[in-house]
Parts: sequence; structure tokens; C-alpha cells
Amino acid sequence: MKRMLSAALVAVVLGATAPVALAYLKLGTRQGTALITLRWNSMPVRYFVTNRDVPNVTAPQLRDAAGRAFATWAGVPNVAISSQFVGFTGATPSSGDGATVLGFTNRPDLDRVLGSTSFIVDTVSGEVLESDIFFNSTFAWSAASAGETNRHDIESIALHEIGHLLGLGHSMLGETVNDGGRRVLGAEAVMFPIAFSPGTLNRTLKADDVAGISDIYGADTFRKATGSVTGRITKNGAGVLGAHVIAFNPATGAMVGGFTLSPDGTFVIAGLEPGPQLIRVEPLDDGDVGSFLDPGLNIDADFQAAFYPKLVTVPRGGTSRSVDISVVAK
Amino acid sequence: MRVLVVLVCLLSLPAAANAQRIEIGGSFVTTGGYDAGEQSAFETPNSTNPNAAPFTLFTTSSTVTSAIGVEGRLAVNVSRRVAVEGTFQVTWPSLQTRAADDFENAPAITAEERVTSYLGGASLVYHFRTGRFLPFVAGGASYLRQMHEDNAGVVTGAEIHGGGGVKYWFGRRFGLRAEAGLSSRGTSIGFEDKRQTVPTLGVGLNYRF
Repeated sequence: MKRMLSAALVAVVLGATAPVALAYLKLGTRQGTALITLRWNSMPVRYFVTNRDVPNVTAPQLRDAAGRAFATWAGVPNVAISSQFVGFTGATPSSGDGATVLGFTNRPDLDRVLGSTSFIVDTVSGEVLESDIFFNSTFAWSAASAGETNRHDIESIALHEIGHLLGLGHSMLGETVNDGGRRVLGAEAVMFPIAFSPGTLNRTLKADDVAGISDIYGADTFRKATGSVTGRITKNGAGVLGAHVIAFNPATGAMVGGFTLSPDGTFVIAGLEPGPQLIRVEPLDDGDVGSFLDPGLNIDADFQAAFYPKLVTVPRGGTSRSVDISVVAK
Repeated sequence: MRVLVVLVCLLSLPAAANAQRIEIGGSFVTTGGYDAGEQSAFETPNSTNPNAAPFTLFTTSSTVTSAIGVEGRLAVNVSRRVAVEGTFQVTWPSLQTRAADDFENAPAITAEERVTSYLGGASLVYHFRTGRFLPFVAGGASYLRQMHEDNAGVVTGAEIHGGGGVKYWFGRRFGLRAEAGLSSRGTSIGFEDKRQTVPTLGVGLNYRF
């Protein structure tokens, strides 16, 4: 995150390779000790699309893919999100021109980045004033409804980047393996930072994505219909910073995650279905810390994954009792 | 339901002279457990094959344990052989979820929470004979209310039950009651949306006025 005068520029990237496994984060700015969530305060989000074609994806196809991706986010129940395509533009998707632009840019220097989202925000209120998404035309893209072999699906990547545009950070609900390069084994969030292999589709929001976007734009009905889990992760009596905590619903299989974001190891996971949840904690042990949190933080990834030995019932419209998990070093 | 039909027919029997007799009683009860569902933490696989198996982060299987509790009864004998009985029961089962096969080698564990389960309802009781030793059958329906730990959530629903047992009267007032039966709950604590039928046992004392 780089601050520019009274505004902030935030770049979040989707790497072509790397590892991970965690849950939703909200983007924000810090005001003193307070964290201000980034969000659009007025709807619809008005956006332009660059009038530049790339092989296999024309500008109208990019417009259509972006429209479908916006509609997917707007289709989450009880969230107030809408968007409006304004028109094609010759402008590049770069911050500072006052317009929200989505388009292709050739960045061969970013050989692990499929796309990136940047913002101009009011750092006091957290309101997003402008956001731009670029898709790296160095890679091979596809707009085919069923995808194409060896080409990245533009709608899948647009869905991820528009998640950022709306204020979501990365999720760590996914697993990777290093077999000569990081390869995703599975992911249960569109906001997982590492893309699936070319030719795959990832156009469906998961429980973690829904909880995250609802946490930002959800109506009161959402907050009254869901609940949250709160607690603390410790090791040798001290808080663990950067631990990934998953709430798993044994009834539905839904997983929603969160992070311990302060040195005392406390966490909150909101937007959970009421009822019993199984809580699991794991280290940020196989991912790029910078994909999730400020890499300057003193992240502790030296502990074993563990389950909390009690089921935790999430009350409707409320917060569970505190879940305190003591982890041990690897 | 078959038990209920039989008992409704029994209601048509003529009332006897001592139909005003009232009984109260209390028992220790135990209810059986049941499987509460299996669910794995699946992730979408990184595959171009839409039929590819999901990636499994860990697996879970859940049970509701057998439980002990207490029951109170108030019965009105409407004939020499037939009684209408109101019951209130509370038991304390546990909801347990076994988590295992973790991809990152988190130690397998059984997570649990204590549940408080209430039943309030009515039964019809038919005694096969009169005297000190009274075999009987009973059946009825109840309102089920189950509270998660810390009262953080509640499950409510209807329950039907049927069974039989014996009463043994030591004298005019005090007697022993033992019974066994089945309790079928349309909705109950657990992770499967299906009817659960559990065995029940009870042993206690009766007092009649």
C-alpha cells in the first residue's frame, strides 16, 4: 500500500503461480489505531473498458465478461452492489484520471501477474473514488464460455479482480504444491490469490467470498441472519499474528476464514451461518505473506495446524463465546 | 403412528368407577444416540475436468451421544385401564464432530458441545391388567426444544413416542415404574435434515392420590 498525498494507492495482484490456504480479508486504510474498510459509498460503480483487443478476446468480449463478473457479485443476496458500463475508452487502466477503467495492458515484466487492481481512496472515510483493473496481455486469454485449453479465462480473473475493486483482499482458502513451481491443488474462494491452471473456470463465488462481500455491503438483514466467531490464537502464552482461522460448518461444508490481524492474536470471522461450527487454525506457511498482509509485519508461521476441541455455536445476529486456541511450534 | 391409532381406539372404552385417580412420578431416563452426518471440507479442484474429484482439506463425521436425564409425569386415570399422562423430560446429550485426515496434518480431534434437550408432551397409557403388577403400553407426542451450549442456538420440533413397561405398586400409594420405547424426532440437533429415532429407557417411582 503506497500513500499518495491525501489518497492511497493500493495494488493487489493475482499471481500466476505460488501457494496458500486461508480466508477473506477486507482491504482498508489505517487511521491511528483504527482500520477503515475500503468501500464504494455510492452505486452504481461506473466503469469504462479499454477499446483494445488481444488475441481471442475483443474489447466487447471483455466488456461482456466484466459485466457478468459484476453481476455475479451483485447477485449475492442482501448486498447493495450495482454497476454500470459507461463506454469504451482509449485510456489505460491506470489510477489518477478520475475514471474507473478495466482493460488489457502488456506487462511482460510482471511475468507472474495475470491482473492487478489499484485504487484512489479517501483515507479518512475509506471511500473508493476510483479503481482500475489491468489484465496482463503477456498471457494468453480466452472469452469462450467453456474456456479454452492453455488460455486463462477472462471472466474468472475479472471476477477475482472485481472482488478487489469492491474492497476484498485475498482469501487463503486453498492449497498448493511446489512441483517445480507453485501449483494450486484446490481453492474454495474466488479471492484465493493464485490462479487455477489455464483452461480452468472459476466463476462461482464460494461461502468465503459471499461472507466477505456481505461483510462490506450486506444489509441489516444479513447481519441479523448471520453471526460471528471471535477468539484468540496464542503460542507459549503470546498472541500469534497472521494465523489463518477457518470456521467450518459440518452441516453444509461451507468454509469461511479470517486472520489474526493484531499482535495479541485476536480474530473475528463474521457472516457465518448460525449453528455449530468447527474451528481450525493454520499458519501462513506456504504462501507469499505479501499476498495477504503487510510483509513488514512479524508474521508467525511456525506452528502446527490444529482444531479447536469444542464445537462453537454461532448465534443468529450475535457473536460466539471467545475461542481461545493454543498452538504449538512445528 | 400405528401406536397412536391403537391408543385412540382405546379411548372409546367405557370409563371405570375409579377414573379420578391421579398419579405423579419421576424417573431417570436415558436416550440413545445417533449419527449426525458426515461432511468433508472440500475445495474446488484445479482441473479442467468438470467431474474431477474435489480436493479434501479434512473430513468430519458427527454423532449425537446417548444421554441421561430426568422425567416428570402427571397422569389421570380415565378408566381402570387407560390413563392420560403429561410428561416433561430433560436430557443432556453431546454433539460430537470427529475431524480427521487433515491435509496439513492437524491432529485428529473430537470436538463437542453439550446440548440441553427438553421434551414436553402427552401420552396415552393402556394397562393390560389391574392389581399390583401392571404391564402397560404408552404412546404420544411432544414438543422438542434443544439448546446448544451457552444457549447460542435452539432447535425445536415435534416428537412422537411409543413403548411399554411395567408398574409395580408396593401399596396403595407408591410404586415402581420401568419402561422402554422409541422416540422419533422430526427435527433435532445434528447436521442432517432427517427424522431421527432413538431408543429410550426409564426407571422411576410413582405416587398416586
